[in-house]
Amino acid sequence: MAGAGLSTAFTPLFGKTIGPADKIRLGLIGTGSRGAGLATLIREMPDYDLVACCDIIPENLQKGLSLASKTAKGYTDYRKLLDDKSIDAVVIATPLYLHYPMAVAALQAGKHIYLEKSMTYDIPQAIDLVKKVKASGLVFQIGYQYRYYGLYHRVKEIMKENWLGKITHFECQYNRNSNWRFPVKDPKMERAINWRMYREYCGGPLSELCAHEIDVVNYLTDSRPVKVVGLGGINYWKDGRDTYDNIRTVYDYPNGVKASVTSVLSNAYNGYSIRILGDKATVEILRDKALIYPETINNAKGTVDGVTGATIAVTTQGKGAEVKFGKPGEAELEPTVFALKDFAECVRNKKEPVSNVETGRDGSIAIHMGNAAADTEKVQYWKPEYSA
Amino acid sequence: MNRKAYSFWLAAAAICLFTLASRPGAALKTFRISGRAQGTTYAITYYAERPAVSQTQTDSIFKSLDNSLSIYQPGSLIDAFNASQEGVVMDKHLTNVVWRSMEIYEQTGGLFDMTVFPLVRAWGFGTKGSDQLPDSAAIHAIMPCVGSDKLQIFGGKLVKNNPCIQIDVNGIAQGYSVDVVANFLEARGVRNYIVEVGGEIRTKGHKYPGKERMSIGIETPSATEFDAPEIRAVISIGDGAVTTSGSYRKFREQGGLRLSHIIDPKTGFPVQREVVSATVVAPDAITADGFDNALLAAGVDGAFGILRAHPELQAYLIYRRSDGTVADTASAGFGKYLVR
Repeated sequence: MAGAGLSTAFTPLFGKTIGPADKIRLGLIGTGSRGAGLATLIREMPDYDLVACCDIIPENLQKGLSLASKTAKGYTDYRKLLDDKSIDAVVIATPLYLHYPMAVAALQAGKHIYLEKSMTYDIPQAIDLVKKVKASGLVFQIGYQYRYYGLYHRVKEIMKENWLGKITHFECQYNRNSNWRFPVKDPKMERAINWRMYREYCGGPLSELCAHEIDVVNYLTDSRPVKVVGLGGINYWKDGRDTYDNIRTVYDYPNGVKASVTSVLSNAYNGYSIRILGDKATVEILRDKALIYPETINNAKGTVDGVTGATIAVTTQGKGAEVKFGKPGEAELEPTVFALKDFAECVRNKKEPVSNVETGRDGSIAIHMGNAAADTEKVQYWKPEYSA
Repeated sequence: MNRKAYSFWLAAAAICLFTLASRPGAALKTFRISGRAQGTTYAITYYAERPAVSQTQTDSIFKSLDNSLSIYQPGSLIDAFNASQEGVVMDKHLTNVVWRSMEIYEQTGGLFDMTVFPLVRAWGFGTKGSDQLPDSAAIHAIMPCVGSDKLQIFGGKLVKNNPCIQIDVNGIAQGYSVDVVANFLEARGVRNYIVEVGGEIRTKGHKYPGKERMSIGIETPSATEFDAPEIRAVISIGDGAVTTSGSYRKFREQGGLRLSHIIDPKTGFPVQREVVSATVVAPDAITADGFDNALLAAGVDGAFGILRAHPELQAYLIYRRSDGTVADTASAGFGKYLVR
């Protein structure tokens, strides 16, 4: 069986061609909160037919199947789902520690993969997955949906057009004021449901929340961090968790650009935000909008008595102007819909996704470096072999 | 007091004021007033022995201008005209602006046209933004409402020949406002001043106590609507006005294409010309402001065509070459203003 899978994986041609009118037959592995959320979006998309769901928790599986095709099959063992030859692609939305084994198995089974972020549990897995994906010839996308969201495209564009001047810092936070737990009826299920609390399964807030922001900084700067310092602790939610309830890291990017990446689970003011600091203006990215705050430098004016120019709109100090994005009349959709649409496009046209295994690797390695910096209280450096 | 005697005392008072303000050898102090008006900022600096104008007075001037000319102010006279079927009786400000606008419409071959408002709105640059862009059929349908030749003045009334005609004097109102404030200063005997409203400027006399010339920076076109200005050239114009129209601050992005807020009244479409900034020096600000938009819409060659017919105007143009690089050019008489 493994041999047969491998031969499929290493054939550069796809098992079958999916025509533009054909629905992509999709399997969903992991139908917990994120998986069910994805299924809700997929159900509305003409590109997909959700034909199989898999989860080890019966309630989750029922929920997933209720959102899938009427004839969809339910599985508790993902390997059984992968054995179904009629499935073209899988979405994997499981706890982080399962990403690598499931992705490798899916590649071996010849499935295109949409893998939720972050990509892998550790650095060796990230490096290895790059090799395996490249050898497979299959489409492999990581669920960093902001790379597909017009808001971020526009921010990248205005950075390129020098609206912000020289950019020196990013300030990223992903905060909440909650214990970040899901209710558990059966105490035996605590670790399966609240896997985000345990290092055995994930990297805590950095891998599950800030991952998006690290990926966004990588995307906006077209680079990856050189080194990182960090401090973290469990100082508020002393409830048996062993992942941090607060972590603050500073990533150093090429040319001295620094990105602070913070997650605090005891304050929710502007919960999700990325501020980009330039010497001409600041952009503040929130969930579904971005504001631009110009600097009030006006050196030029001091040397003359007046300046003639196109009328300057009055901007109030401290009040941002909203960054306009998207095409006129375009529907405002959940960013993930754009990501899933593009995944379908990549599967049909055999294209490499924008959020691919290499950008995914860069994000995952950065996350692990950040956690290691906080764990060891030592600077962590990007090693050449990470991206060899 | 009868009317004649009143005029006499008024004239006498004005002469006294004038002699006071301009008495030779008297030490002139610097007075500055600044504030917000017409959606932008204004700044007045004048040199006189004692205060001649208060902020309250300038604010009230701007208020009376807005009551007449602002399309952003519901209930303004221009708003009433736009909503009317036939037209309205004009007040002093609207009369002045409409007459000059019609003259400049003629002199620019229709490139400056205050009836462009329905087009401006269709393209989403009006008082309310629009999400949709118009198609050519929609623009075609608007064109019968465009053209200053469809307006007439009977007595003190501005009359339209089609209810759909709406006017927008934003292209000229700031320049006119500068003139109104400058005239107000002059009526109070001030002979040395610089008045600036939203980048439109009028200067007279010198700076004191050093009696230096007043210098004006011409801004480099910037990428955004709110950039702090960077100076590309510095000029000194003596007694006169200078205004700049640029397609660089106000625009809409559409599929990677920037749509200028300057609409060509002849085609109905946003100007896609190579000129990104037109600076005009003229005896008064309403003239400079009326022509700067037209030069922007005319392109480099067209602009020089207009300038040849108007020796009282000098202009400095910044334009984009076909390879994307930015260059500048100026009318022959502009060089004498350049300081650096």
